[in-house]
Amino acid sequence: MSQVLHPIEQKILKTLIEKQNLTPEELCDMTKLSIDQIRRGIEWLKFKNLAHVTESEKNFVTLGARGKEAHEKGFPERQLVNYLKSLDGYSCEINDAKNYLKNEFSPAIANAKKNAWIEIHENRMLLKGYHDVTPEEKIIKSIASKNSAEMSVDELEDKNALDLLKKRPEFIISNSKKSVLVNLTEKGIETAKTVPDKIDMSETIPETSSQSDSADVKKVAKTISHTTDSLLVRAIDVEAPAPTIFAARSHPLRDVIDEVREIFVSLGFSEIIGNNIQSSFWNFDALFTPQDHPAREMQDTFYLKDITSGKVAKPDQIKKVSEAHKKGWNYQWQNEEARKLVLRTHTTCVTIRALADQQHDEARLFSIGRVFRNEKLSYKHLAEFHQVEGVVVGKNVTLRDLMGLQTEFYHKMGIKKIKFWPTFFPYTEPSLQSMIYNEKLGKWVELFGMGIFRPEVTKPLGIKNPVLAWGGGIERIAMLRYGLEDVRELYENKFGWLRSVPKCQ
Amino acid sequence: MPVVILYFDRIKKILDKSIPKDKIIDTLPFIGLDIEDETADYINVEYSPNRPDYSTDYGIITSLQGLLGTKLGMPVLKIKNGKNSVKVDPSVSKVRPYVTAIEARNGKLDDETIRQIITMQEDLHNGLGRRRKKASIGIHDLEKIKFPLYYKTVTRDHSFVPLESETSMTVIEMLEKTETGKKYRHILDGNVKVPIIVDSAGQTISLPPIANAKLTEMNTKTCNLLVEVTATDKNAAEGVLAVIANTLQIAGFQLYSVKITGANNSTPALKSRDLVLEPELVNKTLGIEISNPLIVKSLRKSRLDAKMKGKKIVCTIPRYRTDIFGVMDLVEEVALGYGIQNLQPTMPESVSAGERNNITKTLETIRSLMIGLGYLEVMNFELTSKEILYGKTHRESSKIISVADSKSQEHIILRDILLPGMIEVLSRNIHESYPQKIFEIGTVFEKDSPIKEGIHLACLSAHKDVNFTEVKSVLQSLLKTGFNLSCNTVAQKELMFVDGRTGGIMINGKKFGSLGEVDTKVADNFKLRTPVAGFEINLTDLVF
Repeated sequence: MSQVLHPIEQKILKTLIEKQNLTPEELCDMTKLSIDQIRRGIEWLKFKNLAHVTESEKNFVTLGARGKEAHEKGFPERQLVNYLKSLDGYSCEINDAKNYLKNEFSPAIANAKKNAWIEIHENRMLLKGYHDVTPEEKIIKSIASKNSAEMSVDELEDKNALDLLKKRPEFIISNSKKSVLVNLTEKGIETAKTVPDKIDMSETIPETSSQSDSADVKKVAKTISHTTDSLLVRAIDVEAPAPTIFAARSHPLRDVIDEVREIFVSLGFSEIIGNNIQSSFWNFDALFTPQDHPAREMQDTFYLKDITSGKVAKPDQIKKVSEAHKKGWNYQWQNEEARKLVLRTHTTCVTIRALADQQHDEARLFSIGRVFRNEKLSYKHLAEFHQVEGVVVGKNVTLRDLMGLQTEFYHKMGIKKIKFWPTFFPYTEPSLQSMIYNEKLGKWVELFGMGIFRPEVTKPLGIKNPVLAWGGGIERIAMLRYGLEDVRELYENKFGWLRSVPKCQ
Repeated sequence: MPVVILYFDRIKKILDKSIPKDKIIDTLPFIGLDIEDETADYINVEYSPNRPDYSTDYGIITSLQGLLGTKLGMPVLKIKNGKNSVKVDPSVSKVRPYVTAIEARNGKLDDETIRQIITMQEDLHNGLGRRRKKASIGIHDLEKIKFPLYYKTVTRDHSFVPLESETSMTVIEMLEKTETGKKYRHILDGNVKVPIIVDSAGQTISLPPIANAKLTEMNTKTCNLLVEVTATDKNAAEGVLAVIANTLQIAGFQLYSVKITGANNSTPALKSRDLVLEPELVNKTLGIEISNPLIVKSLRKSRLDAKMKGKKIVCTIPRYRTDIFGVMDLVEEVALGYGIQNLQPTMPESVSAGERNNITKTLETIRSLMIGLGYLEVMNFELTSKEILYGKTHRESSKIISVADSKSQEHIILRDILLPGMIEVLSRNIHESYPQKIFEIGTVFEKDSPIKEGIHLACLSAHKDVNFTEVKSVLQSLLKTGFNLSCNTVAQKELMFVDGRTGGIMINGKKFGSLGEVDTKVADNFKLRTPVAGFEINLTDLVF
């Protein structure tokens, strides 16, 4: 398969194979393409490894004021020769020559003598010898013949004469320009040989500088419609890079939430949804957290300002829960305290309420959503984050089943190394935490917690069978998944990140 | 969670046995401790406040001994009859009715032991003592005290030299000027008189729950201690005293009782209690089949006493284990003694097919439609600031729902709409390439009785040619494709949007949201230099 080359590329290749080491400006001169087209063409060729570019410094010469004069009127010594030629006897008084040449007299005499064009006897001078065009004159002439009135030093063969000219004041101005030189690679040379002699340049008439992408598009469209008659669509450069656009997509954290949800569903759990605002009764009291427990204080929990709940639960539920508190914790339970509204501190309030209201004998339920903690934000803490919690109700469910479900969940998340440690939650007994081995970090990380709801929780709410519960924060999983060190990044919504995180990890 | 420092040289001394360091470190998590950090000399561990006996290295090592198998069964408190007493005056019954005490004699205190005891005291104050409200502790140099002690009330001009002071202060001064006074004086609110403990020589040794006296401060030369606990709950007081007594006994002190008399108070017995455990409950809960002797052994490894009685097991629980409520707690103790690592996970059969909630399904559909329309999803917090929600967007703020005492100024108000947070997202991304098109689906809150929680969808499009019509097309397409609904937009005034370029979204004659070009002054407030248009609709009212 031969490579498709844009006419611009073809033209550049063709030019470079004849003469290597050209600057973009030189290519411009030689190809009659615009400098923008040349630059673009060079980039394309570089990308395809057909051309390479070296940075170099090039020396240039232009004519100085006297150099220009010398080009128009001749060098001073040439003027002297011509003057003498016009005189009878090819000779004159020195003073006559001085009057004729004025300021040019001294260089004229000096150079004419050096060229052996004249002889001086006392105060007369006499023409002699041959008066061929000098190398210096040739140089001035060739520089002047350039359109740009500028000439690369490399193009001048007689470096000696150039040095002589440089010594004469204001004849030659030297300067240097940093430039890039374009060369063909070996592959480029090979490819250039395949370029046809006749290049279809119909699409590449020099463009104006205001050329935009949309104009290009229009032009291409036009070409296609023009050529449909002949059923010939000119090939485009399929290897050229295209502009960057961004796929619209779901939030990376949402992807993790969805994945967790899908795993729960695949394990036979049905999703329940509850409010973010909950009464203290369901968030704490129903879960056997005493009313004077430190976790219930304002410095840990968000309470709504100046608003309390009306009816929090069924009278029977309230009565039995309060009795369990009095018996277990030995204090005066206050309905007032249970009516305080909080932003839920866990999703357990949603699952326990569903269990209390629906009275399942056997069920697998889960809830996934936002939870809140009155915390100062830091690289590892947020004031609100997502939590998932699953519960299994069943006559014969065991702690080992809970460990099995947790293990299966982690396997589906791609986590293989898991261990369990004991821990404490106010509303479960026994309680475990799971540790997973993170390959990237090379260490054990604490993830989900789990346990069996305490009888002090289930009994007052009329739940007869044991309830396994397990869950935890989702942001932590997302951090491990996306390699984040600061949990706040998940909520910063930086497009740079949102647009670049791969969907599949 | 509270932290305890475990020095390896102390562990070795208290264990009275050479156990490899690695084995100790590996065992700690299995008694429920989290390892925080580790150096060559010590290790920091976090413990759950339900186990106040873990507030010193002595208590932790007691548990370790069980799992390591070096000491099994319950540590028994040996309390000899003491001669000293505390007499309680009925006047305390309205303020802080209970006091309990014990003597610990013939012990040795070094700097680290004193530090451990003080840490324990603080942890007990915060946990079982409920920040000193329920119970507070005084540990005194016994030799400075002339018995009997009197627990009574005095007026607030009473004075003595408190700890960390050189001069005598009145109660009023202590409550007004000292740090602990300011922190805990609310506990004494509503009482003209305050409780104190004084000795027979009239020396004040304690002002519960605020301060102890300088006079009886313990130091490395102290051998004999008096521990007193005052409380509003007698049970809590004895629980706290039991934890301290047990710890001091392990630390080498001998315990002597202190007689408490008067006003419903009594000498603490600190007795253990028995619970009958059905072996079947253990096996059924844990999912194992282990013999009764193994259950007994496991309980003893958890430093409880247990013996078989017919087909049941009688378990004896020391007084300091305040975390044990009932038999289910004993099941956990069996699990710990048996070893969590010995429980193999099993997979229970599922009784049902799982399912996503219908709301979730609908939201997922809407999300995929918005993505199909070229919009990027963003996620913001539900708690935000008044500045973003109302100030910068020129919105009326009469129905704010705020939380009390937030630690962060940016998370104080529950959002009632999504758009302000999303404009803030655009303002954080002005350096990124345009067009920028974003959407969010999230919960918002409306002040009502009770508060309404709804799910909204909002989107914003920002680029140089954006206008009302573009986003209206998006809305139309979403409603048509998603729900086969069509909508009208009727002229409205909405300060967030440009006047004349905003409309209320009407579906079947009812308003569900707003659409418009964001007002340039609002855009300016968010430092946006690109035109923005968008809409927000209430999905809960529309589809749920």
